[in-house]
Amino acid sequence: MLLSVLKAVGALALLGVVSAALLSVAARRFHVEVDPRVEAVASALPGANCGACGNPSCFAVAEGIVAGTLPVNACVAGGPSVADSVASLMGQDTCEFVAVVTARHCGGGTRAQRSYEYSGVRSCGSANRMAGGPLVCASGCLGFGDCVRACPFDALHLDARGLPVVDLAKCTGCGICVRECPRGQIGLLEMLPDRAPVVVRCNAHTRAKERKAACSACCIACRKCERECPAGAISMVDLLAVVDYEKCTGCGVCVEVCPQQCIDLYGRPDGKPVAGADGAGKDVAGFAAARSTVRDASDVEEPAEA
Amino acid sequence: MAAVGHYALLFIGAALINNILLTRFIALCSFFGISNNMHTAIGMSAAVVFVMMMASTTTWIVWKVLLVPLGVGEFLYIPAFILIIAALVQFVEMYLRKSSPVLYRAMGIYLPLITTNCAVLAAATEVAKPGFFKMNMAYGYSLGEGLVYTLGVAVGYGFALIAFTALRERLDIAPVPKALKGNPMSFITAGLLSLAYVGLAGWFGL
Repeated sequence: MLLSVLKAVGALALLGVVSAALLSVAARRFHVEVDPRVEAVASALPGANCGACGNPSCFAVAEGIVAGTLPVNACVAGGPSVADSVASLMGQDTCEFVAVVTARHCGGGTRAQRSYEYSGVRSCGSANRMAGGPLVCASGCLGFGDCVRACPFDALHLDARGLPVVDLAKCTGCGICVRECPRGQIGLLEMLPDRAPVVVRCNAHTRAKERKAACSACCIACRKCERECPAGAISMVDLLAVVDYEKCTGCGVCVEVCPQQCIDLYGRPDGKPVAGADGAGKDVAGFAAARSTVRDASDVEEPAEA
Repeated sequence: MAAVGHYALLFIGAALINNILLTRFIALCSFFGISNNMHTAIGMSAAVVFVMMMASTTTWIVWKVLLVPLGVGEFLYIPAFILIIAALVQFVEMYLRKSSPVLYRAMGIYLPLITTNCAVLAAATEVAKPGFFKMNMAYGYSLGEGLVYTLGVAVGYGFALIAFTALRERLDIAPVPKALKGNPMSFITAGLLSLAYVGLAGWFGL
């Protein structure tokens, strides 16, 4: 009896001592030096692991930045403040950072014609696979909110028109919505510089007559904006108004002249979204005033006085 | 030829007929915990195959060399195996971190989870001390048989976990009644999946 107790204690003690010895040797032998800067940089990054930069995790980005394989502004979603704090951790000066935000090139929503009644799973990806989607327009927003669910920053919300509206104060420009949207790759959602003052709410390239039959909110290729734009920033590409943001001054003339109300004010020139951005009203005068007070003269030209 | 058939039966018996998750109901915590996303389910399955093989080999050796000769195996096997598995997983974690950072990043986060995974202990126990699963071939396993058996258990675990994850991913976008959303639906799904596996019971006399 006593002997088997002793044996049991001895056996367990032996196992314990052997594993402890093995582990302590292994801890020495396989010790990995971790650069303390990796931890510091990792804690400066947002930590959402959104994958917008193309790396699997924020920690991987931190390792890359410390190892020098990634630039200090590698984090797309963090914006200039994160880039700056990472740069100072790495002993570099602050860096240039062009922030981008998501813009939706569709104003259809409830105004887009349906070709059939869709009653399947409430997801854009699923609806888009069923006979090309329930919309007549092959480019329009399906409105089931795949982008809304995908957004890790809660920056997208469906409005009364059934369209996802971007909350420009929250959008980090990670681009996940563009990837999740089944029509994102063909131009429905696009990453724009966050200073982009206007956005065209249509991305259909079919003939204007077909387009008009499919949706009452589309660009009808009337060329009014192209003629009226004082900066010559709008041109027709495949029967669709396209804004050249290098030239656009944000005067808002196109927003006023568009007979389809297909061009919306947009952007956050000083880091904050301007009043009336993303289709929340068309207060052009107030918008232009807000813009002119914050505009950096070296950045864009002054609008020609009309 | 007979040997091949014997090993094949051992494998099928462990993987499908006595599936550790769906027939034996062992390791259910990880079955529900990490079946939200296909990527992690696959990583976890791979890590389980790896750790289970190593754990069963080690416990088999300790059983034959230490516990049986001392005559203490009958009552000491569970604490001894837990000790061995915990130490082994830690060792593997350190080793991977040093020698293969890529593999460590892919599998490292699952290793601490596996330390407490009862499936590993169950497979190690069965290999050293057969009879727990009441399979007809209950007798002392040779090391080779033990490894085939363990591989079967681990593959069965991975198979069930990945199948369940695929079902849950589809259910996530399906119109499930509000009261059943989330865990209730997962339990119902797991029950139905398990029912399908029970249909295999008794095949080949296993």
